[in-house]
Amino acid sequence: MPIAKKETAVYRRDAKLNHGLLTPAEREKLLEKPTKLNGVVVEASSKNHSRLGVRKFLKSQLHALLYAVLHTVFSIYIRIRQTYHGVKDRIFAILYYHHRTPELIQKDVKGLDRLPEHLSVILKLEDGGKGGAGLEAIVDEVAEISAWCSCVGIQTLSVYEKTGILKGYIPATHRAISRKLDSYLGPKQHSVSLRAPHMPSIESSTSTPSSDTTTVPIKNIKVLLLSAEDGRDSLVDLTKTLAEMSQRSKLSPKDISMELVDAELQESVMGEPDLLVLFSPSVELSGYPPWQMRLTEIYHVRDNQGVGYQVFLRALYNFANVQMRMGR
Amino acid sequence: MSSSLHLSQLRKWILESPPIEWSIHRLRQLIIAALRQGPIPQHVAFVMDGNRRFARTHHIETVEGHSLGFESLAKILEFCYKSGVKVVTVYAFSIENYKRSKYEVDALMEMAKVKLNQLSQHGQLLARYGACIRVLGQREMIRPDVLKAVDRAIELTKNNGTCFLNICFPYTSRAEITSAIQKTVEDYSKPLSSLARPFSQTRITQKILSKNLGTTPPRASSPTPSNTSDIDDSMSSTTTLHQESPNGGREASIYPDPETITPETIEQNLLTAGDPPLDLLIRTSGVKRLSDFMMWQCHQGTEIVFLDCLWPEFDLWQFLPVMLEWQWKQKHLEQEESGNALKRSKTKLK
Repeated sequence: MPIAKKETAVYRRDAKLNHGLLTPAEREKLLEKPTKLNGVVVEASSKNHSRLGVRKFLKSQLHALLYAVLHTVFSIYIRIRQTYHGVKDRIFAILYYHHRTPELIQKDVKGLDRLPEHLSVILKLEDGGKGGAGLEAIVDEVAEISAWCSCVGIQTLSVYEKTGILKGYIPATHRAISRKLDSYLGPKQHSVSLRAPHMPSIESSTSTPSSDTTTVPIKNIKVLLLSAEDGRDSLVDLTKTLAEMSQRSKLSPKDISMELVDAELQESVMGEPDLLVLFSPSVELSGYPPWQMRLTEIYHVRDNQGVGYQVFLRALYNFANVQMRMGR
Repeated sequence: MSSSLHLSQLRKWILESPPIEWSIHRLRQLIIAALRQGPIPQHVAFVMDGNRRFARTHHIETVEGHSLGFESLAKILEFCYKSGVKVVTVYAFSIENYKRSKYEVDALMEMAKVKLNQLSQHGQLLARYGACIRVLGQREMIRPDVLKAVDRAIELTKNNGTCFLNICFPYTSRAEITSAIQKTVEDYSKPLSSLARPFSQTRITQKILSKNLGTTPPRASSPTPSNTSDIDDSMSSTTTLHQESPNGGREASIYPDPETITPETIEQNLLTAGDPPLDLLIRTSGVKRLSDFMMWQCHQGTEIVFLDCLWPEFDLWQFLPVMLEWQWKQKHLEQEESGNALKRSKTKLK
């Protein structure tokens, strides 16, 4: 690209006429300016090579200095940004606190004309996989998020956690979610089904005769627990199965289509979520199922740390394309 | 109103004056050289989104917006290659984009033809940085005349080998993954040629059998060690041991064991095979979706950045903070790792 404005103008005029105006040689000339500049510099430095490369040394020193300066400035900037976002998130968290009342949560999302049917979240196990406190915290987070979802009216929630520790505690997690929903909605107003791929699902035991609950709508929520092995490993497993079938000539490789893969993965893992919420400070998918996130809206709050109701709410606002104002 | 117009005119005039232009150019070069002092992402991908919206907001034709987008791409490529990025992957055209108006698709194709030519010509950007073009995607969906231009561009740049430009042109990630699976399955359903090896399996089985007959407990000793020694080998050998009966025939041909398929096997069959892992994925215009781009490549440790600016506005000044943040994070990761290593070595010493 030419660097100077005048040359750029000529270049654009030429481009408009499908490059009929200038010959390649002329165009090259247009670009020559920057290369010549570089050329001069290169020549100069090579000429000075004999003088013990003083100029080159000075130049690299200058670059190193500038690098240090850039990063110092940047780290100051990032600290300020983190503080700013931290304060802002706190304010949001105080202004939008749910007080465990479903009415308040419903009021928060009243203005939204579009809600995700399938919400997905990525959680991170803290405490280096030591179990104990980290596990307890993550179970509580799952329970909280499911409670918010069922208050808002989101039917499917999938929780991705890389190590898959939750899959070992499905009954306990189910109990925790039920308890949390009790405290939000009151007992027997909800049913939870919790499952992980390739494992039997646990339905809510509160399926009391529906005669007395017909008037009150029951909140259903399906929670799905995912881990790294449901990501690309599921694709690998599918490939293994297909390879085996092909070896026994039960299928020809030509039969493998996008629809087939999609249908299989939907069956064994899950369908495409509408919204993926990250609670990490930046977007890093850390092994999230790749196939399923084709058109998924990815939401994260910059510099955010940890699970918070305000992040969840802002994700929903963002999904519905609604500007969120400070205060209710 | 008029004063602001005058001001912007003045600003433009100052910015376009040769000394200022020259010093801005020098400053850019200096910044790029400075960035090189730190870690540099080896593979960067861009979703060039926002050309149409840019055209709409600036009241120019859509095609012109795309053309400005190309200029922006050239600038970014220059910046990337100069700072030491090895592979740049850009999402030029999705398979879904064929659904746009015929007028726009045709114009885009025309543009692709011209720009590909221009990029790959002698003395142009790619030649200057020794970059080699690769086109990722469904080749059979490209119009024949465009395909000719594509092939010419590939041919012209094939001797450049220091860096790469991957142009994803009719591309979707799902199609890519599917074809990788298909290729893997094809590879695994080719029978291994047993003729190539100078050992006869029947002879070996006979030997084993005779040996087993010789030692008194015929079953207890032999199967266990052979099972633990090598999984893929033991699988095939056991099947042949059982299938040595004459009804084996063609069915008995040995296939590679499907259990040896790993994520890496599929990765090698992806269109980006051989490229360094994707470090940074940038999408402009504020859309926070992957839209079927590089899904396999970016779902592990890739830093994904969504920027609000439109692609034609994307420049060094938007890219610089992203780069700096990436470098900053990289340094933190390194520190953490070395800290962990220190801790580990200490505990080992104890």
